[in-house]
Amino acid sequence: MQLWPFVVYCALVGGLIAAMLGLSYVLGQRHQDRATGAPYESGIVSEGSARVRFSAKFYLVAVFFVIFDLEAVFVYAWAVAVREAGWPGYIELITFVLILGATLAYLWRVGALDWRSVPQGRKAR
Amino acid sequence: MTASDLVALSPLILLSATALVVMLSIAIRRHHGASATLALLGLAASFASLRWAASVTPRQVTGLLLIDGYTLFYWGVLLALAAAVVLLAYSYLEHQTGHQEEFYCLMLLATAGGLVLVASSHMASLFLGFEILSVSLYALIAYLHLQRLPLEAGVKYLVLAATSSAFLLFGMALLYSETGSMQLATLARFYMGAPNAALGAAGWAGTVLMLTGIGFKLAVVPFHLWTPDVYQGAPLPTTALVATISKGSVFALLLRWFHPAGSLAGTPVWWAFVIMAAASMLAGNLLALRQNNVKRLLAYSSIAHMGYLMVAFVAAGPLAVQAATYYLLAYVITILGAFGIMSVLCSGEEECCELEDYRGLFWQRPVLAAMFSAMLLSLAGIPLTAGFLGKFYVMAAGASSALWLLLFVLVASSTIGLYYYLRVLVVLFSSLPEDHVKVMLPRGRVPAGAGFSLAVLVILLFVFGLYPAPLWDLIRGISAGIG
Repeated sequence: MQLWPFVVYCALVGGLIAAMLGLSYVLGQRHQDRATGAPYESGIVSEGSARVRFSAKFYLVAVFFVIFDLEAVFVYAWAVAVREAGWPGYIELITFVLILGATLAYLWRVGALDWRSVPQGRKAR
Repeated sequence: MTASDLVALSPLILLSATALVVMLSIAIRRHHGASATLALLGLAASFASLRWAASVTPRQVTGLLLIDGYTLFYWGVLLALAAAVVLLAYSYLEHQTGHQEEFYCLMLLATAGGLVLVASSHMASLFLGFEILSVSLYALIAYLHLQRLPLEAGVKYLVLAATSSAFLLFGMALLYSETGSMQLATLARFYMGAPNAALGAAGWAGTVLMLTGIGFKLAVVPFHLWTPDVYQGAPLPTTALVATISKGSVFALLLRWFHPAGSLAGTPVWWAFVIMAAASMLAGNLLALRQNNVKRLLAYSSIAHMGYLMVAFVAAGPLAVQAATYYLLAYVITILGAFGIMSVLCSGEEECCELEDYRGLFWQRPVLAAMFSAMLLSLAGIPLTAGFLGKFYVMAAGASSALWLLLFVLVASSTIGLYYYLRVLVVLFSSLPEDHVKVMLPRGRVPAGAGFSLAVLVILLFVFGLYPAPLWDLIRGISAGIG
């Protein structure tokens, strides 16, 4: 394996970064005004902390979405090999989808999909 | 996939189906007893189907899983361990707030991961087994998520186990790029210096990365740092699960991988294992000396025990596999018993794992204290217990391969180890302090299920310590076909 193209590549990358940072340092203007340190140099002055607490329910739904979306990818993987996999592959896929369905049923029943702060079931009781 | 393949896989399929059934039963109606019963029934069905599966083995199923006598033996062990954990967990979780039912679902999944690991003959199934096991363990360790320690332990385990999985995966990629094979048996041939099979730099780097990943799961030095914190933080049934099913299945995989025909002795991989063994024995026993928390103490002792197991592992020949299997079996029985007794005693929201909580236990709960002493003596390797015979076989395997330096370390570190086991024993039997007003361990009946599993464990401890012949013959039978 010849190493020198890689070395040249690394040198070029390093040189480019150095040039970009160095030139902007040399040519760029410097100023220190009242609003330089603020998050937005124009517009309204920000108030309070950026550490706002978001409701974790949205996060939960996002995680479910990612999980189920990821599982759906496996169906695509099966779809491109559907003829080769044949009927056994079909049965395996059905099993897989049924397991996913069971998981969804579980999530629904334990109230994980319910994103109100007071779950409906508890309110009704 | 033929019908016989499905028959060979039936224990695994039944176990996975049970996890699903438990989950659906929770969806229909939450009931702690029902979930535990379903889990037990599933484990029993899976165990019963081992016989059925044995009728079609040995069998390579789809290039990923190898089902033979060795696999079925370890499957049986893992399923029995899981059943014991279910019984212990039931009495433990009764006293905890929050949902209890999901524990069984996750536990069955972890066991299924262990089953896959034991049977795997391919990197893909190895990694799948690893992940099924780890992901269930993340949740199981942090199961009591409203308490501080379990949550902390869960996050620690999550970060470290995910990192180690990354190591494992990258190692696999490097090894595959070098050898062009993902079959574990083919890889083992590379380590044994077979003709026209030499590893280059990438291959060795991959090997080191894979050993890192596996070493992490086994908690051998220098990959042991998570053990005390996770053992201490996790709920006791989970700790028992980590100590038995997780480590046992990974070790079984390691045995299968590196012990086909041929010998590792003298190869770089062998030296890596030798160093890990010696370091684990010394570090585990020395660090356990000053622990005042019984869970932490047992965690450090587990590091040492993995070191002892490694001694049998690096020995050559068929005796090595047999000795390692016997030792592993003796160890999981003992440690499950020890954590089981602790989980029965700690019948409150708070776990009582400080050494001082056990002061004078014998005068309050004589039977449990006697059982606990038996477990500790077995861990220390005192005769009449399974631990002694296990250690004896490990010594025999080491001596037959002339591993004198390792054996010296083993003897020296076991002697150090004796000190801290006896320290716990002294506390158990010492008289109650005068101002003992707070009874940490209240009197009360031991729940039937937990009591039953503890009794079985103690009986097995003595049976395997006094009359090892049937088990030894069984192990000899299954390990004959390993390579």
